[in-house]
Amino acid sequence: MSITIRRPEESDTVEAFDSGDYALDNYLKRHAWTNQRKSSIGITYVATDESAPRAVVGYFTLAASSVHRDSMPAKYIRGLPPYDLPMILLARLAVDRRFTGKGLGRALLAEALKIAATASEQIGCRAVIVDAYPRAVDWYKTYGFVPIEGGNRNSVRMYLDIRTVRFAR
Amino acid sequence: MPTSHRRARRRTQPARKPKFQADLAPVEDTTVRALKQELQLSSNSDFLSEALALFQWAVSERRLGRRIVSESATGEKRILVLPRLERVAPSVALPNVDIDWTEKELESLAKLASTEPAKPTPALVRALKG
Repeated sequence: MSITIRRPEESDTVEAFDSGDYALDNYLKRHAWTNQRKSSIGITYVATDESAPRAVVGYFTLAASSVHRDSMPAKYIRGLPPYDLPMILLARLAVDRRFTGKGLGRALLAEALKIAATASEQIGCRAVIVDAYPRAVDWYKTYGFVPIEGGNRNSVRMYLDIRTVRFAR
Repeated sequence: MPTSHRRARRRTQPARKPKFQADLAPVEDTTVRALKQELQLSSNSDFLSEALALFQWAVSERRLGRRIVSESATGEKRILVLPRLERVAPSVALPNVDIDWTEKELESLAKLASTEPAKPTPALVRALKG
């Protein structure tokens, strides 16, 4: 297996992509390319294998986000910079089932974090945020993501300080 | 002349405009003249003003990470690449999205963001250096 991670191209084939999760598959097949062109919702990167260089076997999507400083509890904001907290959202990450257990998820996450670290030097970023499925929480924890407590959705929001990513590079 | 009249006269005087002077190679001079004629621009000031508007737009688009593309009637696309424009282009341009936060999450986020960063885990180091 020799994987390339790059921006998607119109000639890429995604119809056979099957991560086992309808929402993640549907996003890649129906929305990723459109959003990419409009550049309004997220930037997607795809992974392809040299055996079929046009077939997408994994992907992730990144976006920028921020939290208004005033929306955070007053007792904590003293330790924060005097402006909104900029973050990069790892909005989606999925691997085709035929490629699970081969390190592709790790390669995609590593690439996403490298891009986040690079972007943080240009646009400002305090952390990488991911809404992880409960089954993926332990996987993200191994890379240093910390659960953000107090959510009320089906996923677990997790936090990784961008400085931690920079230390690791 | 009464003082009030002198003040009024001073107020109505137009602000001095900065001058712009440039040395052009003969070929550039020819190009400027041809463009002025084609675009029906009578003065160098008008020419500069139009050129500046276009250049300013190109810089602002590229600064946002957008590419500048020309498209023919048959759909053939050509991308404008100028080394100087590329200097302002971010290598990563991410769109901004709003996400919902609960009050408890915001409290937890503020706590995490106001503390010193954790040391990278061995798995993170291996992933980023591998």
